[in-house]
Amino acid sequence: MRNFALFIMLSLLAATTSSCMGLRQINELAIVSAVGLDVGEKPGSVKLSAQIMRPADVRGQTGAPSGGTGEPIYSVSAEGDSIFDAIRNLGRFTSRRVYWAHNFLIVMHENYARRGIGDMVDFFTRNRELRMNTWVAVTPDSPDELISTITGIEVVPGEAVDRLFRYNMVTGLAVGSNMMNLEEQFLSSSAQPVIAKLQLMPRGISNKKPEEHGSLKQVELTGAAAFREDRMVGWLSPEETRGLLFFVHDYLSGVEPVSCPNNGSMATLEFKQARLSVYPSVRDKEPEFRIRLSTEADIVENGCGISLAAYRRELEGELSDALRAKIVAVLKKAQKDYRTDILKLGDRLRNRYPIEWSRLRGRWTDAFSEAEMKVEVKTTIKSTALRTSRRDIH
Amino acid sequence: MNRIRLSNGMFMAMIVNMIYAKAIGVTQGTISRLIGQDMWIATLLGTLQGLLIIYVLHWAMRRLPGRRITDLPSLGDALLGRWFGHLTALILVGFFLAGFGPIMITFVYHLKDYFLPEVPLAIFIVSGLAVGAIGCYYGLEVMGRLALLGILFIFLLNLLIVIGSIDEFDILNMLPVLEHGLPNALFASVHFDADWALAAMMAALVLPHAQDGLVRGGRFGAAGIAAGGVAIMIWSILEPAVLSAEVSSQYTVSCMKLARNAHVGTFLQRYEMIMIALYSVPVLFEIMFTLYAVSACSTRLFHLKSDKAAILPSAIALGAFGYWIVEDHFRAIRFLENIWPWIALPVAAGLPLLMLLLRLLLQKRTERAAPYPEEG
Repeated sequence: MRNFALFIMLSLLAATTSSCMGLRQINELAIVSAVGLDVGEKPGSVKLSAQIMRPADVRGQTGAPSGGTGEPIYSVSAEGDSIFDAIRNLGRFTSRRVYWAHNFLIVMHENYARRGIGDMVDFFTRNRELRMNTWVAVTPDSPDELISTITGIEVVPGEAVDRLFRYNMVTGLAVGSNMMNLEEQFLSSSAQPVIAKLQLMPRGISNKKPEEHGSLKQVELTGAAAFREDRMVGWLSPEETRGLLFFVHDYLSGVEPVSCPNNGSMATLEFKQARLSVYPSVRDKEPEFRIRLSTEADIVENGCGISLAAYRRELEGELSDALRAKIVAVLKKAQKDYRTDILKLGDRLRNRYPIEWSRLRGRWTDAFSEAEMKVEVKTTIKSTALRTSRRDIH
Repeated sequence: MNRIRLSNGMFMAMIVNMIYAKAIGVTQGTISRLIGQDMWIATLLGTLQGLLIIYVLHWAMRRLPGRRITDLPSLGDALLGRWFGHLTALILVGFFLAGFGPIMITFVYHLKDYFLPEVPLAIFIVSGLAVGAIGCYYGLEVMGRLALLGILFIFLLNLLIVIGSIDEFDILNMLPVLEHGLPNALFASVHFDADWALAAMMAALVLPHAQDGLVRGGRFGAAGIAAGGVAIMIWSILEPAVLSAEVSSQYTVSCMKLARNAHVGTFLQRYEMIMIALYSVPVLFEIMFTLYAVSACSTRLFHLKSDKAAILPSAIALGAFGYWIVEDHFRAIRFLENIWPWIALPVAAGLPLLMLLLRLLLQKRTERAAPYPEEG
C-alpha cells in the first residue's frame, strides 16, 4: 500500500513537472529591441512599430553571413484600437511570436503623448515579460524612423539608445526615464511624470561622402517632455532639463562653461558632489520652498589666458549664476507655463507637512503654480585639475 | 508508538516558514492598499501581537500534571472532555481548510501569473499537493528538516532582494511616517495577523513535540515569530522605498513586482526565477503542513487509526477548495482581504485565550481527574 501510494505520488510529480507545458523555443520568438507608439490613422487608434532583432545578423559582421540577410533588425508596424490589438495585428505578417523581455526602449510620438499615456503605462506594467528598467522617451519625429535609425557604433539601434541613456548623466541634458520611475510618478499623487526626449538630428558623417557633413541622421537624447496627469503638456529644453535633474535624479556632476572675468573667452568648470536641499514651509496656508544647491567645482579648461587664482570668487559667482539660471528656468516652466509639479516638490511638502498636504492636495496645481520659490546656489572651486602655476598658489 | 521529536531550531524554523511566503508579497500588497508606505509599521504591530498570542498559547499548553498533551485538541479533551477536543479539532480543520485559500493564492499567482500563464490551474494544485502529501506521509520530523532548509533559502532570498534593490532605495518614499494614523496602521496589521495565525495554529499542533515545547515553547515560538517578522519587514521596507507605496498597492503579489525590478548592475537582471526557486521551499512547506494539520485533525474526528489514511481525502478537499478560490482573481482577492482575516484571527487568538481561561478555571479539577497521576 505504502509503495503504491508513493508510486502514485511520484507519477503525478513526473507528469506535472516535466516543464514541457507552455514552452517557447527561441527560434519561434520575435525578440523586440525597441517599440514605437504613435496615433493611428483611425481616430483613437494606436500605431505600434517594433524593431525586431534578427539573431543571425546581430553579431555585427559586415555583409550577409551565411543564412542571414545582413540586416540586423527587422522593423514592422501595425495599427489597432488598443496597444494589445496592434500587437496582435503584427502577428498577421510577422512569422514569430512577439517577445518583450529584451526590449530596450519604448518611444512615443508627441501626438500620442499629448493624447494620454495611461494605456501605455498600464499595458507595459501589466505585461509580465517587459523589464521595468526599459527606457521610455517621447519624440517629435516619427517613432518608426527613430527606432530604425542606426546610431553610434552599435548594430542594433535599440541597444544604441540604451547606451545613450546609460551614459546620460555624463552630459546631464536629459532625464533617465524608465518604466520603473515612470510608473511611480504616474501613480503618485504628489508628483507628475517627466519623460526624456529623443529626436533625429543630422549629426553623422558618411564614410563614403565625408564632404556631406550631417548626411546621416542620428538619434539624439536631449531635453524632456513634461506631463500633467497622463498627458504631455510641453517640452523642456536641455538647459531646463539640467535644472530639473537636480530635483529628480542624483545628479552629482556636470560641466558648465562660464565667461572669463578678463575678456569674452570661456573657462570650463566641472561641478562635483552637487547636493540639492529643498526646505518646504507653509505660510498663510500657502506653500513656500527654499531651494539650496551646493557644489564643489574644478577648473578643467582655462581659455582666459591668465591664472584664475585671483578670480576664483568671480568664477564661483559665474558658476552659481549659471546653475541658478537653469533651476529658475525649469521652475518657471513648471510653475507658470505648464502648471505641473514635475520637480516632486509636492512630495517634499507631503513628507514634511502631511496635514497641510492633505488640505492642499485637492488644489495642488494652483498652489504649486503660485508657490514662492527662493533659490540659493553655493559653489566652491577647489581644484585646477592637473595644471597649476606659481601664481595659482601665491 | 514512536514519539515525534522536533528540535527547538526546527520548531522555530517551521514558524518562520509558515508566516513568510504569503506575508512578503500578497499581504504587503493588501496593507499598502490600506495605509500606503506605513506597511512596515503594520507588520511590526502584527509581529508584536503574534508574540503575545504565541505566549498565550504556550501558557495554555504548558505541562499539565497527569495529562499527556500532544496538541490543542488533546488539551481540549483534558479540560472539558472528549466532545470539546473534537470541537477543537473540527475548528482547526475548518481553519486550515480556509487558510489553504490564501496559501494557494500565494503559490499559484506567483508561478502562474509571472512564469507559466499557459499552464492549467489544476497542474499547480495537484503538483503542490503531491509534494505536500509526500512530506506529510513522512511526518513532522521530515517537515522540520525541510523547514530548516527553508530558513537557509529565506536568508538567501532576502540577501538577493536587498542586493538587487539597494540601488533604487529611496528613503523619501517611506515618508511621511504614520500618514494614515496609528489606528489605521493597527487595523491594517490584521492582515499580517492572519499570517502568523497560521503559524500559531501550527504551534498548537506541534508545540508538545518540540524538544522543550511544553517548558520553554513560548520563548522558542516567540523567537520564531520575531525572526519571521524581521525577515518579512525587510520586504515591507523595500517595497515602499524602492517601488513606492502607490506602485506596491497596484499588485496582487507585490513582492514579485519588487523581484522583477531587482537588478545587480547593468548585466544581471530579471533573476526572479532564482528567487522563486528559493521561495519554493517555504511555500511548499506551508502546503505540506496545512495538509498535515487537516489530516491529523480529521484522524481524531473520524477515529482513524493512522493519519496517513486521511492524507488523500484531505488533499482532495483542500485541492477542491484551493482550486475554487484561485480560479477567479476577484473571488480570491475578496476572500483574502475580506473573509480570511475574520476567520483567522478569532480562531488563532480566540482558541488559545479560551484554552488559557478554561485551564485557569478548571486546573484543579483537571489535575484531580488525571488518568496518569504518576506522570505528574
